[in-house]
Amino acid sequence: MDESTPPPPESGPPPPPPVAPPTVSGSPTDFLKGVVGKRVVVRLTSGVDYRGVLSCLDGYMNIALEQTEEHVNGRVTNRYGDAFIRGNNVLYISAAEAI
Amino acid sequence: MDPAAPGIQEPFDLIRLSLSERVFVKLRGDRELTGVLHAYDGHMNLILSEVEETILIVEGPDSGKANGTVNVAKRKMEMLFVRGDGVILVAPPSRT
Amino acid sequence: MASQILPLELIDRCIGSRIWVIMKNDREFSGTLLGFDDFVNMVLEDVTEFEITAEGTKRTTLNQTLLNGNNICMLVPGSNGPED
Repeated sequence: MDESTPPPPESGPPPPPPVAPPTVSGSPTDFLKGVVGKRVVVRLTSGVDYRGVLSCLDGYMNIALEQTEEHVNGRVTNRYGDAFIRGNNVLYISAAEAI
Repeated sequence: MDPAAPGIQEPFDLIRLSLSERVFVKLRGDRELTGVLHAYDGHMNLILSEVEETILIVEGPDSGKANGTVNVAKRKMEMLFVRGDGVILVAPPSRT
Repeated sequence: MASQILPLELIDRCIGSRIWVIMKNDREFSGTLLGFDDFVNMVLEDVTEFEITAEGTKRTTLNQTLLNGNNICMLVPGSNGPED
């Protein structure tokens, strides 16, 4: 797939050591880079939770989730293979596994 | 850092890939729609056809009915514009 | 007006410390502030969410979390939340 990260070159000077690993630096952008592809909990302002794997998101916090479960009051109320969540409804995105 | 979904770089790609498909839409005010997606824009304004709307009415304690009773009202629309600011979630048909 | 400090400069000085976030509705968060942006979207760690209802306060613990700045009302630097 052409969108995947190219493999590192076999030779050449070693890259400079990173100043800080991206998941350690704290900005929202860095957090989001760290959680793409990971299991997350997305809570909406209504209190409804969506648990799934974060496919991607944009600057409005619009979110694409995979293997999504909708949780209302602790019970699963729906399952979606994919789900688009409009960003204005999002209260938070929380990592559900180590990042 | 390789999300499992093929060809999805941004959330709107999910919607783009669902054009002409029947989608599920969750709206504010306990409304749910299914319909065929014809068009969308950056606000998530949608054009749907062959729409079935489901309105969930949960009875409160002062309704005289058993608390938590869910009434479901359904209606059909041939063609529908949905204003984007009411959209909570859009789920395309399962890829599996 | 020589030593004016911008509001977000104060928050910047809280990075690495505990902070208490009070939302516009009956919801509060406490956690360690890892970072934030111009919208005051905040990344928090070791988070507790407090949902304050008539029946009492419901607590939820969370891992690293990006909190949408849209619904934030107030920030209390150095505090561990409503029960601090």
